[in-house]
Amino acid sequence: MTSPGEPVPRVSGRLASASAAETCDVDLVVIGGGVNGTGVARDATLRGLRVALFERNDLAFGASGNSSGMIHGGPRYLSADPEVTYTSCKDSGHIQSIAPHLLFRIPFLLPVPQAKRRIFPLMDAFFEAYDRYQPLKRGKPHARLTGEELVQLEPGLRGELYGGITFDEWGIDGGRLCVANAVDAHEEGARLFVGSTVEAIEHEGGVVRAVRYRDRGTGVGGRITTPRVVNATGAWAPLTASLGQLPPVHARVRPGKGIHVVFDRRLSNYAIMSETIDGRTIFIEPWQNVSVIGTTDDDYYGDLDDVVATSEEVRYLVEGVARVFPAVREARIIGTFAGVRPTLYEYGKLEDALSREHAIVEHAATDGVTGLYSMLGGKLASYRLFAEEMVDLLMRDRLGRPGAPSTTHLRALPGGDRELDALRFARDHGIDAIAARRLVYRHGARAERIGERMKRRASEARTVCVCEPVLEAEVRHVVEHEFARTVDDVARRTRLGLGACGGMRCAARCGAIVAEGRGHAPEVAAMDSLRFLTQKARTRVCALGPIEARQEAIAIASLRSQAGIPTRSRLAVVGEWAAGNTAVVNAAVGNSAAAASVSVDERGAQDGG
Amino acid sequence: MAAESIDVAVVGAGAAGVATCWALVERGLSVRVFDGGLGATSLAGGAIDDRPWEELARAATTLRVEPLARPVGAEAARFVAALGLHRLGDEGASMPRVATPMGRFRIARGHDRALLDLSRLADGARVLVPRVPRAEWDADALARAWSADDYARARGFELVSMDAELTMHLGEARIASADLAALHDDDARVRWLGARLLELVAREGRADALLLGPWLGATHARAEALTQQVGVPVGEAMGEVGGAAGLRFEAARSRLFERIAVSLEREQVHAAHLDDAKVELTCESGATLRARAVVLAIGGVASGGIVFDPPERHAGRDAPSGVRAPFRTSLAAPVTLAAAGRVFDVGSSLFGPALEREAWPTDADPGLLECVGVACRGARVGARLFAAGDVIADRPRTFLEAASSGIVAADAVLGALRGR
Ligand SMILES: Cc1cc2nc3c(=O)[nH]c(=O)nc-3n(C[C@H](O)[C@H](O)[C@H](O)COP(=O)(O)OP(=O)(O)OC[C@H]3O[C@@H](n4cnc5c(N)ncnc54)[C@H](O)[C@@H]3O)c2cc1C
Ligand SMILES: Cc1cc2nc3c(=O)[nH]c(=O)nc-3n(C[C@H](O)[C@H](O)[C@H](O)COP(=O)(O)OP(=O)(O)OC[C@H]3O[C@@H](n4cnc5c(N)ncnc54)[C@H](O)[C@@H]3O)c2cc1C
Repeated sequence: MTSPGEPVPRVSGRLASASAAETCDVDLVVIGGGVNGTGVARDATLRGLRVALFERNDLAFGASGNSSGMIHGGPRYLSADPEVTYTSCKDSGHIQSIAPHLLFRIPFLLPVPQAKRRIFPLMDAFFEAYDRYQPLKRGKPHARLTGEELVQLEPGLRGELYGGITFDEWGIDGGRLCVANAVDAHEEGARLFVGSTVEAIEHEGGVVRAVRYRDRGTGVGGRITTPRVVNATGAWAPLTASLGQLPPVHARVRPGKGIHVVFDRRLSNYAIMSETIDGRTIFIEPWQNVSVIGTTDDDYYGDLDDVVATSEEVRYLVEGVARVFPAVREARIIGTFAGVRPTLYEYGKLEDALSREHAIVEHAATDGVTGLYSMLGGKLASYRLFAEEMVDLLMRDRLGRPGAPSTTHLRALPGGDRELDALRFARDHGIDAIAARRLVYRHGARAERIGERMKRRASEARTVCVCEPVLEAEVRHVVEHEFARTVDDVARRTRLGLGACGGMRCAARCGAIVAEGRGHAPEVAAMDSLRFLTQKARTRVCALGPIEARQEAIAIASLRSQAGIPTRSRLAVVGEWAAGNTAVVNAAVGNSAAAASVSVDERGAQDGG
Repeated sequence: MAAESIDVAVVGAGAAGVATCWALVERGLSVRVFDGGLGATSLAGGAIDDRPWEELARAATTLRVEPLARPVGAEAARFVAALGLHRLGDEGASMPRVATPMGRFRIARGHDRALLDLSRLADGARVLVPRVPRAEWDADALARAWSADDYARARGFELVSMDAELTMHLGEARIASADLAALHDDDARVRWLGARLLELVAREGRADALLLGPWLGATHARAEALTQQVGVPVGEAMGEVGGAAGLRFEAARSRLFERIAVSLEREQVHAAHLDDAKVELTCESGATLRARAVVLAIGGVASGGIVFDPPERHAGRDAPSGVRAPFRTSLAAPVTLAAAGRVFDVGSSLFGPALEREAWPTDADPGLLECVGVACRGARVGARLFAAGDVIADRPRTFLEAASSGIVAADAVLGALRGR
């Protein structure tokens, strides 16, 4: 493992092709650790390119980790552009075969109110057409239901219901998907710089030369030479373009903020579609072990690194769903999450792309900078295809002819190569069946590696987070092998601390494990967990009901009692502490007493290089 | 059903309610107390403060002085002694220090006797933290975190974790910490544990104290017996929410009530109706009780004494039914709610407040959930209606404050009943 401050050692090119680019540190720099960035990094690595991936925050920090978590087949495009539906369904099927452990079936109910009875046959016909694509993703055909059947299936439904339609979709954990892609790329030789932001894209004479980056924890910067850069930074794409001195509009997306509200358990058997007051379609879906309401879509002009839901947005969604499923009002909300969609820009520029979900901008054409590309838009459902298209283009530009074809639809993602029996796993390792089931969901066959840890050290079988549940061995695994650096990172990979208790019972312990795993001092652990607790509280308090408010008051009292409420100024330096570089911290906070009283070791942050 | 009659009804049996009862009985009044739930006092981890400890710690750091124990009112101190659960630090001396599961040695004005007071150890003390296979007790991580605490460094403490066999059965790794604590109510079991700890000390060579999890008894603090048996101080670290310290509070409360002949009704009170001559309480079961005065000691949001209940709840498919304050008390009573120095009057949202701006504390400001409560003057809410403890708006949420306010309420009740 090298620290990002050091020069990157030269790796001898695995491709025979002789080009000037051979003298570069890598063949490709990917910016952004969402599905698109990790997908491209994986595909390109598998096709023999030497790749470096930079992620400013954490893998899946952006839209990819905060989406509705569906890989749907795009019925929306069925009438306008059935080709999109076809490719979406087909690729959804591919994802299913390379990562079967990460998928779970979400059957949908579309209740049809009396007022819309006249268009019921039309809807029926529509889903009849969609049925033709369902086999591509192993979906079941739709069914037509009477009002009574509807209420039988979902007793919580209210309103004057004429009937309903069922259709079949698949859910996926976007965070896990990104991590799986990143881990595979890394194992095949890609270097990962998680927590490092790209600061500049250097080009000279119209050709990309290098990127400059900085580790946001240690503050240490570096430079890596490359002939090609893919900007896969989602809603950040225009910002990233500006780092290459390009006009941001040339990688323009329309930033659409979307929020989700999470309930403490599965409230319904089916995902239920509903309409908001302004006629937008929203849903409540059972998702893993919780229920989720989503979503909003509002133009966003705020800070992309700090997107949180507001109480207004929460109410808008709850009101919308309560119309057909009033029980949501009394149900227990345990949190919210929010992300910003990189929707293709709507005014003028990319009309032809509008019927599609994604587009690639070749900045050679728009700005005269060869080797720089921006990936705009996209879906979890089609990330693999999008990545394939991107790498096809890279190969063509590199070799002047189509290169090796993509294999990402054939090669299993880590853990997806074979099935693991969770119950058997539970028995073998003497752990709780639910814990085993969740572990196998997240890691597939790789849960065995976590099992082996527990065999080696029995103490690692201890539960850290009771709500999810998460075992110590898994926390250690994601710190060592999945680029997790903080409690928040662990939560993104394992859902630790996102349950009803809001991390009160596990954050401190998780922080200690992370700090130990990364060789940090214990006070780094304490601040990391405090930061996690207060950050997560921000995502809960916009959606409190009676029980939640009481829980929150207890959480505050308990935090006050055990650790003291951290002040903003203290939290502000946590990031620096967590990274463990005293010099930078002292500079950043003007050598304040707070920073000076802490001695932090001088190690660099983890990168996978 | 004919309503019974009594001098004073106290609603809520947390620190404030118990102190109120005790002080009322001392003043010769007849008392009945109701509690149908679980309050902050039963949830807390065993440390007790007069002011929030953090404020004191921060001030002490800024001024570079050692925080000293401030005076506790004489009657409050007598109450603490009567309850018999806590040890208070000596006035004017260094404050007690207790270990928290978040890895700190924090100051406290007093603490449950089961907790280890690190301020009483000698400089350079070697504190053993035995490994016990339980989720809340990662001895290695805790010892590491505690060693790094500023206080531990200043005092040169050495915290070491080591293997130990302190549980009897495999299943004890999984039961709730309060249940493990209950097992140590048994004398034989405590002696067994003491013997194991003696072995440990003998094996380790040097041990100046033993720090364990919150398991040492659910009705009595067994730490003192263990300390005698082992010959070095043995005590608990603070527990997580709802652990043994709360059970021990409830046990101490029962003993005190028995001694002063107060009966605790395990019932939720639904309403307090007031007229010129009396108060009438209606309970969950439908039973009613007449009293000459009532003291609300129902706690704050954390206890369910104050309920966050925005109008958007219960609306079903429709819009909320009207604008009203988003908080209410757990029983219907003629009170006005306030927070941060302002009363809740006619609201301006049909739904509820934007809690993302107000709910959590920021820096020194407490959040709404911590400070919302009943508006009152001293302990007086209205004629015949009094309040004590966390239910009072903007009062610091600490045990000793709650207990003192109970004594103030008893005086106010006495004054009001005599005045008539
Ligand atoms: C509310 C919502 C619901 C959605 N629901 C679905 C759904 O159900 N199904 C579906 O298929 N799709 C859904 N989507 C869309 C989908 O999530 C996104 O289109 C997709 O995740 C985009 O991935 P990405 O990799 O391009 O961007 P992102 O996931 O946003 O990743 C961009 C990354 O780039 C990093 N970055 C930014 N600047 C820099 C820099 N200078 N240096 C290094 N790194 C940088 C960021 O930290 C971020 O992690 C939804 C989106 C939202 C917001
Ligand atoms: C997790 C946690 C940690 C804490 N840590 C500390 C600490 O370290 N130091 C410190 O000094 N303080 C601490 N506190 C605060 C301290 O515990 C409280 O300030 C104090 O106990 C409040 O006492 P009280 O009697 O006012 O309220 P409570 O103890 O909450 O008692 C109120 C009682 O009223 C009952 N009740 C409510 N409504 C009704 C009704 N309608 N009918 C009948 N009964 C009713 C409730 O069930 C409850 O038992 C902590 C609190 C919590 C929650």
